[in-house]
Amino acid sequence: MQFKKTLISCAAMAMVLGTGVFAAGTIDIQSASADTSAKKIALSNNYAGNSWRQAMLKSWEKVTGQAVSDGIVAEASAFTTSENQVTEQAAQIQNLILQGYDAIVVNAASPDALNGAVKQACDAGIVVVSFDGIVTEPCAWRIAVDFKQMGAIQLDYLAGRIPDGGNLLEIRGLAGVFVDDEIHAGIEEGVAKHSQFKIVGSVHGDWAQEVAQKAVAGILPSLPEVKAVVTQGGDGYGAAQAFKAAGRPTPLIIMGNRQDELAWWKEQKDANGYETMSVSIAPGVSTLAFWVAQQILDGQEVPKDLVVPFLQINQADLETSLETTEKGGVANVEYSLDDAKAVIAGE
Amino acid sequence: MTVGVVSFLRGQAWIWSFLATAAVWMATIIFTGGVGGGQILTAALSFAIFTVIVGIGQMFVITTGPGNVDLSIPATMALSGAVTTKLMDTQNELIALGVLVALGIGICVGVFNYLLIRLLRIPPIIATLSASFLVQSTAIAYGRGLRIKPPPALADFTTAQIAGVPVLALCGLAFTAIMGLVLARTMYGRSVLAVGQNMRAAWLAGINVERTRLMTYMLSAMLAGLSGLLLSGFSGGSSLNMGEEYLLASIAVVVIGGTSVAGGRANVPGIWGAALFLYLLVTMLNTFGASAGLRLILSGLIIITVITLAGGGERKR
Repeated sequence: MQFKKTLISCAAMAMVLGTGVFAAGTIDIQSASADTSAKKIALSNNYAGNSWRQAMLKSWEKVTGQAVSDGIVAEASAFTTSENQVTEQAAQIQNLILQGYDAIVVNAASPDALNGAVKQACDAGIVVVSFDGIVTEPCAWRIAVDFKQMGAIQLDYLAGRIPDGGNLLEIRGLAGVFVDDEIHAGIEEGVAKHSQFKIVGSVHGDWAQEVAQKAVAGILPSLPEVKAVVTQGGDGYGAAQAFKAAGRPTPLIIMGNRQDELAWWKEQKDANGYETMSVSIAPGVSTLAFWVAQQILDGQEVPKDLVVPFLQINQADLETSLETTEKGGVANVEYSLDDAKAVIAGE
Repeated sequence: MTVGVVSFLRGQAWIWSFLATAAVWMATIIFTGGVGGGQILTAALSFAIFTVIVGIGQMFVITTGPGNVDLSIPATMALSGAVTTKLMDTQNELIALGVLVALGIGICVGVFNYLLIRLLRIPPIIATLSASFLVQSTAIAYGRGLRIKPPPALADFTTAQIAGVPVLALCGLAFTAIMGLVLARTMYGRSVLAVGQNMRAAWLAGINVERTRLMTYMLSAMLAGLSGLLLSGFSGGSSLNMGEEYLLASIAVVVIGGTSVAGGRANVPGIWGAALFLYLLVTMLNTFGASAGLRLILSGLIIITVITLAGGGERKR
């Protein structure tokens, strides 16, 4: 994966420049196992009911399992709340404090409602690293995605593909969620920049194929010709189904790295040379958060706000990405300690 | 004559959901200048059918009396979708087996729900909710979010249309008529109504109350299982969260359709009106370009209005 290679070479460079001692490739264990081998890290997760979250948990299991057996940390358990609710996750974090974890990695149900529990953890001397669903409490670290950019690049791509512009259908995520607002704002920015495009319809697909299909099928009859569909991930396949059911020509639909979306794209590509691009966050960002927590426990200086790049798949990468993506899963990148160091160093 | 028809219709609680459906549809068409009216109806029928199927199951449950509700519908749909698509493995010959398994899953979930309610004396709302956690976890453990395509014949059947009318909706209509007859004419249906009106009186009258409740929870879960299978055929595969929106929708269509929440009085045609209404309402607000916040507020207000109108007609009788 192009992006991963870049990360690794960046990491290698950073290491060589920074310390000049270790040769790239053998650094992992030597620099990591020193102080954290007795440390316990917990993952507090608010939701597990979709393929992205499943891939996220699986990546966590795989990478931290290896780290535990390598003796880098003593324990790295994942805890998921049964209902996607703030009160439940707050209680869960309080339990994790009592259980004596040294660090809590959290994918939060809410950016601010967990701040109380997070503050308690910080006061108890626990390192809190939030990712994906980040928390605003200043004592916690944040690994955020530049969601706005994720919206904006869709329009940049479309401007390259359809220079004359045209009508767009926007599929948004879950109403009221920070991520949805951010991606939407990025798309608006993109439309302002490329004024030949016009959003003629906007529906909420809740990042779920069935919901997106339903919403798109409803609004489609009232829309003029749609040139392209801008999305947030997990909704592209549903949109394609709705266009097909309505007997309309398939527009250029931006995909969101889900395996079903990539498989559909491949099918179309083979049948009629369909071209698009796909962008989303790799669920493996949970493993980046793990390494960041480990580095903080190791005593490294880590800035409070980190930005993780998103994972973009272009026409040329489609086959390789599809091959490496598990059926029903999401295109993924798991992060190594080196990757984490590169992100910490600001790449 | 006309007066007779009007006063007959005013007595029917379901009429309000159909009036609301027509009004919302008209408003949408006026906004688009007459474009796409037929296609909107086709889309509404295609999607409403899933709400109708689970709504009928939920209606039977709610009709058995206060406190009875089935919250395990979404989880059952997810489990059924995950298991059957994997089992059928895109082969047309296995569809019949898939349907049997979907119904079988429903029977198991229904029996389990009932046992929690009966043996452990857990209130239905908690029993079915906790059962749904178990069922959903099973679906997650089993499917891991795997999306397998449905067999082509199933996909074709669930998306087929005759002159713009989805075949599935036609089948659903026939099924609704049968369920209407079951409710009004059969021993089982009348028992459901009697139990819902007064459980003790029904028991004294010699009705096997517990068997009626067992069968009702089984029916609801079986319909949820069937709906999960059909939905994964319709949308090109199953997903773990595909049932999520049917939790509230199944209850909403029962209530908007004019069935009494207190039990004992069911309304079968109202389920259709309400399911179409809910779908067209979202379509209308999307077409107007209303923001998500405004859309939720308007949906809430409009639903309250319809329920009040339907309920108001009831009190006058």
